[in-house]
Amino acid sequence: MANKRVNAVVVGAGAGGGVVAKELATGGLSVVLIERGRWHSYDEHGDDELTSQRTFPLKCGFGPDNERNWRMSPDGKNGWVKVFPNQWSYGNNAACVGSGTVSYGAMAWRFQPDDFRLKSKYGAVPGSTLEDWPLTYEEIEPFYEKAEYEIGVAGDPTNDPFVPPRKKPYPMPAFSLNGEGIILEKAAWRLGLHPFPIPMLRNSVPYNGRPACIRMRTCVGYACPVGAKAGTQNTVIPAALKTGNCELRINCMVSEIMIDDKGRAKGVRYFDADNRLQEQVSDIVVVSASASESARLLLNSRSRLFPAGAGNNNGWVGRNIQDHAYAGAYGLFEEEVYDDVGPGACIAVNDFNHRIPGIIGGGVLCNEFIRMPYQFTSIRPRNSKMWGIEHKDFQKRYFRRHIAVHGPAQEMPVFDKKVEVDPVVRDFWGIPVARISGSRHDNDIKAGRFLAEKAEEWLKEAGAVSTWQAVPGKESTPSQHQSGTCRMGNDPATSVTNKFGQLHEIDNVFIADGSLHVNNGGYNPALTILALGYWVGGHIIDMWKGTKMK
Amino acid sequence: MISRREFVRITTAAGAAMLVSFNTSCRNKISRWRFLTGEEISLLDAIVEQIIPTDDFPGGRWANVSNFIDRQLDSYYRKHQVAYREGLSAMGMTVFQLKGRKFEELPFAEQTDMMEMMESGTFPGDYWEEHSPAGFFNMLRDHSLQGFYGSPVHGGNREYISYRMLGLDYPNIIGQNRYKDLSWRIYDAKSPANGK
Amino acid sequence: MKRILVIVSVLILAVVLLLLSYGRWNNASPSKTCAGCHEISHSVDLWAESTHRDIQCKSCHGTALSEGIHSLREKGVMLFHHNRKMKPEDVRISESQRLAVMGKCVACHRAESSKWNSGGHTMNYSEVFLNGEHNKQEAINDDCLRCHGMFYDGKSVAGIVEPLDTSGPWKLKNAGLKDRPAIPCFACHQVHKTGTPGKRPVLDTPSSLHYARADQKLESFYYRRSEMYFPVTVLSTPGINYQSSLVRVSDDPGQRLCIQCHSPNAFNMSGTADDRTPRGVHEGISCLACHDPHSNSAMASCKNCHPAISNCKLDVEKMNTTFADRSSTNNIHFVACTDCHVKGRPAKKL
Repeated sequence: MANKRVNAVVVGAGAGGGVVAKELATGGLSVVLIERGRWHSYDEHGDDELTSQRTFPLKCGFGPDNERNWRMSPDGKNGWVKVFPNQWSYGNNAACVGSGTVSYGAMAWRFQPDDFRLKSKYGAVPGSTLEDWPLTYEEIEPFYEKAEYEIGVAGDPTNDPFVPPRKKPYPMPAFSLNGEGIILEKAAWRLGLHPFPIPMLRNSVPYNGRPACIRMRTCVGYACPVGAKAGTQNTVIPAALKTGNCELRINCMVSEIMIDDKGRAKGVRYFDADNRLQEQVSDIVVVSASASESARLLLNSRSRLFPAGAGNNNGWVGRNIQDHAYAGAYGLFEEEVYDDVGPGACIAVNDFNHRIPGIIGGGVLCNEFIRMPYQFTSIRPRNSKMWGIEHKDFQKRYFRRHIAVHGPAQEMPVFDKKVEVDPVVRDFWGIPVARISGSRHDNDIKAGRFLAEKAEEWLKEAGAVSTWQAVPGKESTPSQHQSGTCRMGNDPATSVTNKFGQLHEIDNVFIADGSLHVNNGGYNPALTILALGYWVGGHIIDMWKGTKMK
Repeated sequence: MISRREFVRITTAAGAAMLVSFNTSCRNKISRWRFLTGEEISLLDAIVEQIIPTDDFPGGRWANVSNFIDRQLDSYYRKHQVAYREGLSAMGMTVFQLKGRKFEELPFAEQTDMMEMMESGTFPGDYWEEHSPAGFFNMLRDHSLQGFYGSPVHGGNREYISYRMLGLDYPNIIGQNRYKDLSWRIYDAKSPANGK
Repeated sequence: MKRILVIVSVLILAVVLLLLSYGRWNNASPSKTCAGCHEISHSVDLWAESTHRDIQCKSCHGTALSEGIHSLREKGVMLFHHNRKMKPEDVRISESQRLAVMGKCVACHRAESSKWNSGGHTMNYSEVFLNGEHNKQEAINDDCLRCHGMFYDGKSVAGIVEPLDTSGPWKLKNAGLKDRPAIPCFACHQVHKTGTPGKRPVLDTPSSLHYARADQKLESFYYRRSEMYFPVTVLSTPGINYQSSLVRVSDDPGQRLCIQCHSPNAFNMSGTADDRTPRGVHEGISCLACHDPHSNSAMASCKNCHPAISNCKLDVEKMNTTFADRSSTNNIHFVACTDCHVKGRPAKKL
């Protein structure tokens, strides 16, 4: 039986897709939201570290599964090796209703105004395709605000002199600090830094009909037991479904965007929950499947007019994939600093974003989310023995006596750091798989080293008796912060979409996820992806009103 | 139409079969282990005890780490079955050749020496085909740590012993949320406690 | 005619054989029957060392056919999975099966059961999940199942009640859940656990009578998140703090069960959330010193320790605390001398 034609198909029910589906459905369009994963509840996951989304030796609890999904990754010898979602070289992002927003740590950062005009501020960077965004911070500010109010953010910028300008206060007060947060806050003031509580997409007080946070230790990597953590699965997606205009189809894998002879999209082809090939015809297609999978879908949608994939006649789809060059330090203390008050991360300094001579970008520094016991087994000073009685002594002595401070150093977009589709290897459904390759720009390493040094200074001031740094390497596979593969821009020659997320080459296909980022800021990107969802969704509604996208 | 004789034969056979199945089931074939053999388990028990030795807290053996590994080899780690079968046998044979005794019969310190040789790559690799001693060592170490620190739902970390060792309450105690005491929840940017 | 006779006699023979076989099966030792299934053998091993080792499996769990067609289907599915090598690690019985077993507990432990029925923990699903006063203050969430409905078969509280918001009106998704006990015996009692069968006390040595039940402790906390029991001996006693110093907390293992649900907030602050850990005049006393574990009544408990008339010449049971009057501002769990004697404790009146 053929599916009924709808106004819009949204591919991927994560941060971007969830918001767009809700904007379109409330704007009166008929929407089909297609998600390859399913609903997850806290109750089915519990707090099992080995299948969380943070450490996943057995499997990625929130998807995708190893049985049907794989990618190719460089083997270091000019060849490729098959990798699975629970390997770091896969570059995983969760696949379920809500996607990463179910199990994320929920930091709610706005990018700095300078992040939107990086090239103007720093000039062209050799070896990088660095560019200004086609939209300014002032243009996106109302959409950040909308995301903060509709999804729900707790924060207090009083003590942050570098806070991006905002018109309204946060809708909820900030979270109190845990024990290590108080220690670090005092140390930061002594160093002349400006500590403040991390804004969080998490209820500090009851908000939008959901309860307040109970401060569990297992937060990042896990679903929330009380629903205090806000994701699209417990905010905008239920709102979209409530309108009656949006149908959510779970366990459905989209294989291609169908393009007609005039070069316009006529819908998508997908495998349903029983792995039968289906077609969904629509006026508009919105792709929000994450930077790697959105690029893969466009590249796999080949047609007469777009032999290299939808919207890819300039060869820019899948290019410039970025994440963050995470860097930081660990400190060991004489006294216990652990008080088991979750989620751990609570205090930040913005002093090292755009204020570093010789470095482009930079990043925020925060104390890290609680490291659970298995994750802690890999946290050691260099040259430590990783097993035996030394291992056990370290676990016992330092689990409650260590603090980690980390920050996402901004990565420079590099044209050859990219997502392609493999010419031979196919996944369970027979869809060509993604392969991700390329190395970081030298600036990322430099910025990372700088942040690690500052993190170490901070820990020493806080009283750490022994410290060591963790610095980023040249090679990495972008994963939970992946972005940049369908960047927006004013020049159709060096970007994939216009400033509204609309493909330059196909006017009824939109992108709404991290793929749009021209750069990824020095912050966790979730709030920016949510804001872009509102931005793109709002502009689709505006265009629809005039033309019905015919 | 079946003949009378045939009918009698089938019915008796069926009755007998039911009787047999009721009374024997398969209790004779019960092994505690799923993939590994009893012999492999006794070697693995000694290995996991090397990775996480007993001190004032129990070690890998008590915590059922071998059970964790055996269980994963029958589920998530089916892909490592060959490595374990080959690795445990190769390790056993090499140690016997070097020491004239089984690994698990060696004094603890000598076992540690063997493990260190494997880790550093100086352990003879003659009996290995697909994997190296060092590669196998790393796998053993990772899996042992998972078994000791992961959730007991996967067969290891008996009674959450590692959590108790780390001073981490489990089940962790957090009360309900409906009470309107907000002071502990919220950050006060002006508070002198915040050190400004 | 002859043919029919043969067929009938063969059928009768078959039925007789089956009945004999089933009868033999039902009376055989569990180590030869129940434990014959890999999936059940672990439970049988635990039972064989437990307090109830003298009571046969079928006395609590019924026979392979006591649930009729449902039993046959269940066993059929087990056999099918077994032969497909899809072995579960352990058998899990469903919530309704647990409740059926609970009926057997009650049949023997009548006194405890009637005490339980007189107490405040005897709540059923509709009383817990449809409590409007509570639901208006906090939306129902999966964490509720930590302490109520912990054996619910579904994978989210969303399967029990709707809507999950603070405006209501709330109703059970399945009206049949209405009378289910939300805290069944097995929330705190682990039956398959090491112990010794009860025996009559030796009345010749009265001084040792209280040891008779010392090793009978079945108290364990069932933690839904990991689907495991935690014996009271391994449960933690959190460091409760009040005004930046630690409260002295009783080391009675029995009360570690109470605090699993009557818990403070994440900072372990005394008196927050559901915490009732005694502070003030009763600091350091176990919950069970005053509360009966089954009825949780504390009505007759004062005289365990106090003379009826206090140093202040007042009847302790009538002092201004929540013991005498629920609306008092002096919570009996936290009351201190200085709450009434604001100028400090007066000298002892003789």
